[in-house]
Amino acid sequence: MQTGPCVLTQAIPCTESAGLADAAALRTNQTGNAFFFRGNNMRHGKLLGSLLALTVALLLCPRQSCAQNQPDISQAQVQQGATGADWPTYGGTHLFWRYSSLNQINTTNVKKMVPAWIFQTGDYQDALQATPIVVNGIMYVSTARSAVFAIDGATGKLLWQYKHQMLPGYSPPARSKSYGLGVADGKVFLATYDDFLIAFDQKTGHEVWRVAVEDPYTCRCSMSAAAMVVKDKVVVSGGGLRGYVAAFDIKTGREAWRFYSVPGPGEPGNDTWAGDSWKTGAVVNWFSGSYDADLNLIYWGTGNAKPDFFGESRKGSNLYSSCIVALDADTGKLKWYYQEVPHDSWDYDSNWEPVLMDRMVKGRMRKLLVHINKGGFSWVLDRVTGEVVGTYPDNQYINWVKEVSQSGELVGRHDVLANESAWLVCPSNLGGKSWNHEAYSPRTGWIYVPLIEMCNDIVARPPILGVPGSAGGIWVMKPPPDHDTAFSHLDAFDPVTGKRQWSYQYKYALLASVLGTAGDLVFSGDSEGNFFALDARDGKKLWSFQTGAGNRGSSVTYLAGGKQYVATPTGWGSVSGDIMSVLWPDSDQWRLGSTLVVFALPEESK
Amino acid sequence: MIRLNAEIRAALFCALLLAPVALRAQNADQNLRHGEEVFAQTCTQSYCHGANGAAGGAPKLAGRGLTGDYIEKVVTYGITGTPMPAWGQRLPLNEVRAVIMYVQSLNGIAPSLRSGPPPALTGEAASGRELFFDPQHSVRCSFCHRVNDRGQAVTPAIANVPADAGALRNLATPQISTARVGSETFPALLSSKIPGESKVYDLTKFPPVLRTFTPAAVDLKDGNAWSHSSVLGNYSDGELNSILAFLRAAR
Repeated sequence: MQTGPCVLTQAIPCTESAGLADAAALRTNQTGNAFFFRGNNMRHGKLLGSLLALTVALLLCPRQSCAQNQPDISQAQVQQGATGADWPTYGGTHLFWRYSSLNQINTTNVKKMVPAWIFQTGDYQDALQATPIVVNGIMYVSTARSAVFAIDGATGKLLWQYKHQMLPGYSPPARSKSYGLGVADGKVFLATYDDFLIAFDQKTGHEVWRVAVEDPYTCRCSMSAAAMVVKDKVVVSGGGLRGYVAAFDIKTGREAWRFYSVPGPGEPGNDTWAGDSWKTGAVVNWFSGSYDADLNLIYWGTGNAKPDFFGESRKGSNLYSSCIVALDADTGKLKWYYQEVPHDSWDYDSNWEPVLMDRMVKGRMRKLLVHINKGGFSWVLDRVTGEVVGTYPDNQYINWVKEVSQSGELVGRHDVLANESAWLVCPSNLGGKSWNHEAYSPRTGWIYVPLIEMCNDIVARPPILGVPGSAGGIWVMKPPPDHDTAFSHLDAFDPVTGKRQWSYQYKYALLASVLGTAGDLVFSGDSEGNFFALDARDGKKLWSFQTGAGNRGSSVTYLAGGKQYVATPTGWGSVSGDIMSVLWPDSDQWRLGSTLVVFALPEESK
Repeated sequence: MIRLNAEIRAALFCALLLAPVALRAQNADQNLRHGEEVFAQTCTQSYCHGANGAAGGAPKLAGRGLTGDYIEKVVTYGITGTPMPAWGQRLPLNEVRAVIMYVQSLNGIAPSLRSGPPPALTGEAASGRELFFDPQHSVRCSFCHRVNDRGQAVTPAIANVPADAGALRNLATPQISTARVGSETFPALLSSKIPGESKVYDLTKFPPVLRTFTPAAVDLKDGNAWSHSSVLGNYSDGELNSILAFLRAAR
């Protein structure tokens, strides 16, 4: 992998860590509320010391070169986790940092950034939610209805396209979408919403092979996760009645292995589902995972058990729902699993990204996996064994448990029960964080998390027999207690301790992914259509551009012709996006669309 | 016999005369309530039409001025290319009727008792249909065969239904050939051949893979050791007989 040049960025002034003060203020505001603020209170005593240490560190360390001010992150790790000229895979690299070593665009010159080109996909059915993949200056992007475009990354010129014809008579289980593509071995891999995995010639777009991963007429299943290439296999995930992660031979398309996220009869874990409930337990896996080449393990976050809110009919812990699973990359065999939410009844699946990093914990370098669950907590796991290293809350309003212990147990659960009337569950079933991904910067050592404070009234109801896939309940989105409406914030955390470093507040919905760069920038977009850059160290907004429609995708950065570009998908939509209309009538101004907007520095500013 | 006075007789007569109407109204009311319940448990779920059809991830249904026929058609047959399924194939008849009635009521249409989905398969044919498409079978008929608009059309439509399980297992498959690509050979079913492009199904593993080659890159020779019985290993004879009953009923 190529990495960008390490240059001095001495023009960046050393700032005080103002965000810590913000966090303290937030904590004070919530005192006395029935909903406790789950911030830094447990570590209050250490806060001052850390603040001092951090300030000293910032003053003493000139900000030069890559990650040298984070002594516990090795240069070898940065090589592995950061992208360089390309954005080769969904999460950036297989460690899923969504972080680029490029720094031509940085805190000093980002304010000069202007649009370089715009590409309209024409697929305006729903938001453009994909992550563009960039290899050798060529961008590959997929749209809601599984169209594929290969585009010149410097000019926006269309090189080839593929328009998918969904199966005749096919009725998808939800609104169709595609989060991205896999690119490797001279091929581009598309997981279509109607369950085909298709390989295209990377240069021409001609089809090489296709396989029906499932029969969508039967299973009411779908694929939306980006195909992920691991060695000689293409790994996809999805499901309907029964979720799976499956690998196919990169040359022939032949199935190599399949891991069902609901174990079948006779398999370990099948007895965690009462009666026949495993048959419709779902546990659909709708996002890509990460991969550790040294351990040869693939990590995947799994879906929730169905019926979502009515747990009566599926007594038991319901493995492997709401889990992180570690699979052998060659065989698909389960190496270990960790279940974050046993017997979920709030729709708190674990589908979001498993972020891999090596960090010092209590004086010992550990191979970690950091993962945020929809319920608003992050789990820090040892990715060799699955052991819990720690947990911490990301959201401010959490009431489905009293707390999650440092060893990962849910303490004081308040389950959604069938005989209860509606009660206000926080965060909502859309997640304290939606799918839009966080970013991890080895330069600050912090993880940047887009969060929404929103709750929902949930009532569980028995599903009708013979209707698999039923949610087993209804819900209505509500603001958090003592608020007129919901709100969002993008926060920087120490990913190991959960210490909040700063918080960027937003009055509407932050449903776009975060991108980190070695220019000490954090990019994301908001629902009103502003694509913006924050200073990675203090969260101050340095630049913003109105892209014309709400942002609901994943921005990336890459080099084309030696020049750095930043690309963001735009266009409001998606199920979560539309549900926001319940809380924000203004949301009808956020506008649908499906357009890539790509930025660069003007020539003279390079 | 008790003699009733004229007033009582008249009242009783009226009551008897009106009873069917009242009963029907009561039935319609029950149906409507049942429809509301079924709607709440299916159509409002998660990311669909929202409580009382007030919109969720799927379109709003209440007060849209939708016509009765349109509602009946969409609930029963779904909308192709959208997440709206054909509830006529998924819910019992009475529940489909009740939901139609309820959604009609959200659009100001008075309850009626007509409407419903096409008849469903019963008995052995119904269980045969389940087995044909059964996602719990790691290899299943629907990987290659399309019946009643479900399953993958790897083969042409099934024209002749074998007499019994034995005949189904021993079905001759002369259309399966041997493909050679470089040094690799595999059992293949030609899908299409146009100038410059040959598409063949690779039957080495299931699900089959549709592979695209230039005509020069692939050589197809008649005959292969592949047999239909090799993929029916996880179905019992009894299950295969049910599947045959389904295929006969589906024709």
